[in-house]
Amino acid sequence: MDKNSKQKLRDFIQETLKKHGDHQGFSDGESLFSSGRLDSFSMMNLVMFLEEAFRLDFSDFEFDVALVDSVNALEQLVDSKIAS
Amino acid sequence: MSNATGRTAPGEAVQTSQSTGLRRFFAIDQSAQFVTWAQSSTGRLVIALGALAAVAPHFGVWAATIAIIAAMAATAKSDWRNPALFSATWATAFVGTATGDNDTLDNIVAVVAKENLGEFPSVPVAIFFLLLLALATGMTLQWVRRSPESFLARRPLLSMLALEGLLCGVGSVDLVHGLPRAILWSAIFVLTPYLWFIPYAIVDQRAKSPGPMTLQMGVLRPFWSPSYLSFNKGAAFLRKHLAQNPVDLAITQLKAIKLLLWANILFAIRDGLGWLFEVPLPIPSVERAIDGFLAGNPYSRLIAWTALIVATARYSLQIAIWAHLFVGIARLAGYRLPRGSWRPLESRTLMDYFNRFHYYFKEFLVDFFFIPTFFKMFRGHPRARMFFATFMAAGVGNALWHFVRDIDLVATQGFVPTLHSYASYAFYALLLAIGVGFSQVRVSMGIKPAATPIGRLYSFFFVWSFVVCMHVFSDGSRKHTLHELLSFMANQFGVF
Repeated sequence: MDKNSKQKLRDFIQETLKKHGDHQGFSDGESLFSSGRLDSFSMMNLVMFLEEAFRLDFSDFEFDVALVDSVNALEQLVDSKIAS
Repeated sequence: MSNATGRTAPGEAVQTSQSTGLRRFFAIDQSAQFVTWAQSSTGRLVIALGALAAVAPHFGVWAATIAIIAAMAATAKSDWRNPALFSATWATAFVGTATGDNDTLDNIVAVVAKENLGEFPSVPVAIFFLLLLALATGMTLQWVRRSPESFLARRPLLSMLALEGLLCGVGSVDLVHGLPRAILWSAIFVLTPYLWFIPYAIVDQRAKSPGPMTLQMGVLRPFWSPSYLSFNKGAAFLRKHLAQNPVDLAITQLKAIKLLLWANILFAIRDGLGWLFEVPLPIPSVERAIDGFLAGNPYSRLIAWTALIVATARYSLQIAIWAHLFVGIARLAGYRLPRGSWRPLESRTLMDYFNRFHYYFKEFLVDFFFIPTFFKMFRGHPRARMFFATFMAAGVGNALWHFVRDIDLVATQGFVPTLHSYASYAFYALLLAIGVGFSQVRVSMGIKPAATPIGRLYSFFFVWSFVVCMHVFSDGSRKHTLHELLSFMANQFGVF
C-alpha cells in the first residue's frame, strides 16, 4: 500500500471514529474493533470502503476480526489481496 | 467482534471515566484504595463471598460455589487458569445433568413418557452422551487444527446445523420408535445446548495461536453461562479480554461484584413490578388479557396496554439479569467482557436497541449470519447488501436459534405441530428483521435521530413502542396462535 492509499485509509477510519464521538487519535498498530472503539457496523462500512477504494474482492474471504483490527493489519490484508 | 456500542471495556474505565454524583459513590473500581484492597487476601475473600451471595439465589448453591471457586482459582495463579476453567465447566455440566439441574433430563423423561418405555436409565444415558460429546468435540477440534481447509473448519455452523437436522430428521421418522427413538433423542438433547458453542471453538482452531486444548474445552460452554447462547464468543474473544496485570484484574473483579449486585437489584425490581401490577393493581398477565379477549370478555385497552408494557419491562429485565450474572462471573475469572445488556432505554434506533438489549445474541447473529451474508450477497448494491445481511441475522438466524432452543417440542409434539406453533415467533423475527434492516440502511444513508431532547424522546417512543407491540409475538409460550395474537393486537389498535 503506498503512502497516499494508507493516508486515505487513515482518513476514513478517523472520520468513522468521529461519527462515533471519538475524537482521539490512533496509532497504526492500535486495535480498533477488539478494543470497542468501532462497532460491527463500522467494520462492514470499512469493508465496503476497501472494496471500492482498492477494488478488492472479498467473496472468498474467511472473515476474522484480527485481519481488519488495525491499520497495520489492514495494510497487510490489502497488500496480500492485491498480490493474489 | 467488538463491543458494538463503542463503550469502554471494563478495565479501561479507571483511566478515562469522569464519574459524577451517585456514579462516583459507586465507582469503587476507580478508587486506588479499593483497587489495592481488592488485590489483598482479605479483599479477594470478601469479593468471593460477595459474589457467592449474589450468584447463589440464581444458580443454586452448588453451581454458584463451583463457579465462584473456579473463577477465583483461575485468577490466583496463571498456571491454574486453564485447569480451573476446564474442571469447573465440565463438573458443572456433569453434575447439572446428573441432578437434573438443566433441561436435558426433563426432555429425556418427556420422550421416554411419550414412547411409553416405563423404566429408562435417563441419567446414565445422558451422562454417557455428555462424555461422548466431550471426547468427540475434543477430537474434532484437534482434527480441525490439522485440517483448517476442511468443510467443517470453514463452515462450522452449517455443519453443526446439518448434523442436528439429520439427527432430528431420523428421530422424527415413523420407523424409529420406542427405545431407539428415546436413545437418539437423548443424544440430541445432550448435543443441542452445545450446538452454537462448538462453531466458535472450531473457528478459533484456525487462529494463528489457538491456545491449549484445556482452554478450548474449558470455555466450550463455560460454567458461567449455562445457557444456549455463548456469553464469551469463544476462547479467542476471552484471550483478547483477559486482564493483563494485578491492577487490571482487581478492577475487573470489582466491576464483577458491581455487576452481580446490579443483577440482584434488577431482579428485585422485576419481582417488585410483577407484584405491584398483579396484586394491588388490577393488571392481568398478557396471557390472561389475550384469553379474556378471545373469550369475549376483554379487559379495557388501557389495562391490556399496561399489561403489555409491564410484561415487556419484566422480560427486558430478565434478559439483563442473566446477562449481568454471566458476564459478572466471567469478569470475576479475569475476563474484561463487555456487558450483555447496556442501557437499552437509551436506544436511538432499532439497530441500537438490538445491540444494547442483547449484545451477545446480536454478536452471535453478526458473526455467523450477518458477516457471511454480507461478504457473499448483493455486493454491487450497498443498501440491499446491508439490508439483506441484517435480515439474515435478525430474521433467519434469530428464528433458527429459537427454533433449535425448543427442539424438545419436535420430539414430543412432532415437527409439523412444532412448526405451526412457532408461527408467532417466526412472524416476530420477520418484523424485527425488517425493522432492524431498515434501521441499518437509514443509518448507512446518514439518517439519524436528532440528538436534541425532543429527538431523544422521539427515539425512545419509537423504539419502545415497536418493542412493546412485538413482545406479544415473541414470548415463546406458544399458547396462542398467530391469528389469535394478531386479532388481539388489532383490537388494541381499535381495528375491531
